[in-house]
Amino acid sequence: MKPRHPSSPYLLLLPTAAFLAVFFLVPLLLAARNSFYAWDLLTPPRYVGLRNYEVLAGSGELMGTLLRTLGYSAVVVTLSGSLGLALAVALDRPGPVYAFVRGAVFSAYVVSWVAVALLWMWILDADGVFSAALRGLGLPTMSWLGDPRSALLALAAVSVWKITGYAMVIFLAGLQDIPRALHEAAALDGAGPWRRFRHVTWPLLRPSAAFVATTSLILSFQAFDVIRVMTQGGPVRSTTLFVYAIYEHVFVNLRVGRASAMIVIFFGFLLLLTVLQLWALRAGAPREGRRPS
Amino acid sequence: MSGRARGAARSGASAACSRRDALRALAASIAAAASGATGCARRAPDGRIEASLWFAYGGKNREVLLSLIDQFHREQDRYRIDAVYQGDYFEALAKLRTALAARAAPALTHVVGEVVPYLAEAGVLEPLDRFLGAPGAGHADLDVVEALGQAGTFVGGGERPLVCLPFNRSTPIAYYNRDVFRELGLSPPSTWDELRAAAARLVVRDGVGTRRWGFECPIDWWFWAALVGQAGGELLGPDGAPAFGGEAGVRALRFWQTLVHEDRTMKPPPGRDYNAWQVTNTDFLSGRVAMIWTSTAFLRYLEENAGQAGAGKFEVGAAPLPRDVRSSVPTGGTMFVMPRGAAPAAQEAAFAFLRWMMQPSQANAWATRTGYMPVSRRGLEELTRSGYYAAHPNDRVAVDQLAHAAPWPWSPDLFRVQREAVQPRLEEAVLAQRDAAETLSEAVRVARER
Repeated sequence: MKPRHPSSPYLLLLPTAAFLAVFFLVPLLLAARNSFYAWDLLTPPRYVGLRNYEVLAGSGELMGTLLRTLGYSAVVVTLSGSLGLALAVALDRPGPVYAFVRGAVFSAYVVSWVAVALLWMWILDADGVFSAALRGLGLPTMSWLGDPRSALLALAAVSVWKITGYAMVIFLAGLQDIPRALHEAAALDGAGPWRRFRHVTWPLLRPSAAFVATTSLILSFQAFDVIRVMTQGGPVRSTTLFVYAIYEHVFVNLRVGRASAMIVIFFGFLLLLTVLQLWALRAGAPREGRRPS
Repeated sequence: MSGRARGAARSGASAACSRRDALRALAASIAAAASGATGCARRAPDGRIEASLWFAYGGKNREVLLSLIDQFHREQDRYRIDAVYQGDYFEALAKLRTALAARAAPALTHVVGEVVPYLAEAGVLEPLDRFLGAPGAGHADLDVVEALGQAGTFVGGGERPLVCLPFNRSTPIAYYNRDVFRELGLSPPSTWDELRAAAARLVVRDGVGTRRWGFECPIDWWFWAALVGQAGGELLGPDGAPAFGGEAGVRALRFWQTLVHEDRTMKPPPGRDYNAWQVTNTDFLSGRVAMIWTSTAFLRYLEENAGQAGAGKFEVGAAPLPRDVRSSVPTGGTMFVMPRGAAPAAQEAAFAFLRWMMQPSQANAWATRTGYMPVSRRGLEELTRSGYYAAHPNDRVAVDQLAHAAPWPWSPDLFRVQREAVQPRLEEAVLAQRDAAETLSEAVRVARER
């Protein structure tokens, strides 16, 4: 299609471009500039060159934060994805009972993060429901959120609980897109349930899986509310993930420059991840034409 | 987000500047709309001059503050204080800094003591002297208890222009379960060694677990500062450079490590900041620990709840913190400050409210209903005279302890050093068992780096 006027496409792009510029591009450029200054919001900024980056890298803070964030994301993405897939396959059946269970699983996703965090703080308390249940079974228990070894895993578990419903819904939609005839044909050929899943369901679910993986990866990288409410980054920094670390630098340590440097690094890192993921998604997408319609 | 300071620093490029101005105006209007605050003085529908007060309390303290504000409104018809809750101390401070940068700060708020030097040196606090009337009259007509006001809270605080007035002030004190102590024939420890021995006698083990801990205290900068002072150290050197008590700082940290890991008599409460404080309180109330250190601010709360808890009911005793080579406690809580930039009429209203709050009857109402300390000298005398302290010996502890209150160094870095260099490392040393000397020398290194 040829535009009536050469500038029409740009005019149509303008609203979105303006929005992105004001709320994403300009703040990012400001952050990039601030990252060369030591600034506390109130007194005049001081130019320090690359000092902020040096300190972040030299103190091991950057690596520590990055590794914690990656570990947390790995757990959240794989567990919520696989659980969501298992639930979707198990619950992809007609009937009011299944509909109710599907609704119940999804409901966690709709609840606000703060409410979820408060609820789980109560459950995971050293004297909470979870510990009481473990004690009842004669198992050892601990202060799940108070111990540096378990706090991050506890947070990851809460996030998995919360977003699994989302993964399930995407997978359900994907499943319902797969024509019944394919399953029937495979069954006639003598394929059991596992082989039908492996060779019919899974290949056709690949786009849904890529979508779920991308969105939950982004979600897990943005983890903030749950940390702010449940652990405030502690104990001993064990739950200080990237976004929370940025928040802490700006609002607690009074270091806008240091936080800006982290923002720039975080942006670069996310950009890299996105590129990798897009590449994987393209490489792994089912070839056109194989997909029946 | 280029901000006021940078805009002012380079006002050359006019094109860039006008865009920056526009952004700034936008930020200011958003902040103002979000906070319902200030900028220009507003008049309430009933014709009173309004000033907004940002406060950072929940629970009981909030109730008492709001009831005092109501009383202020009943007693005069010229001013109205518009009180807005802004989250806990640290959240409120974050919002205050953002609002200051956007020039939308409230006429009145309160901040933790350690942050006052930073705000004052950044030039964002209104000097209060100019509201006091006659120059040279000093701070006298406010009649503040010296140790709790600016003069006593900061080294050299009396010689500086007055920028803060005491609001809810506290010191850490020891609370103990009187029933358990009586049963074991113990008296509250008055030295570190006695504390260690008492904790060992109080602990009740249950196989590998612990049924009752001897001692609990949040692993927090405030209590560590108390220990450093008791061990004879100073947090900052005379030149303001971070020293963290040197050898005394290490000894303070080792004392905790010994109690937690060697003696296993002290429970380090999980959670950060005020979560850990809350855990300490609930452990004490439920009888899981026999002795705690926390703020005098919780006195009323602990007394009331320990007395009501059914079978677990017990009597709460309060005692001064023990000494090592000397007695020493830091002061805590918050100071009232008036951020710069509010309209003169709003400032007038805010200061009228401040003056009213400093009067004996209001200061005492606040203190006796919450557990914080009375900040008015005449008020304190009145309480003593009326026999209040004879009837409430627990309330007396903090007031007597003021004789050993150590002033904070006046350093703009004090707050940042506390939050960034020290607090996370205390947790590391105690919970993850890092060597105390190594931890603190790292803290000094981080604190020096600007």
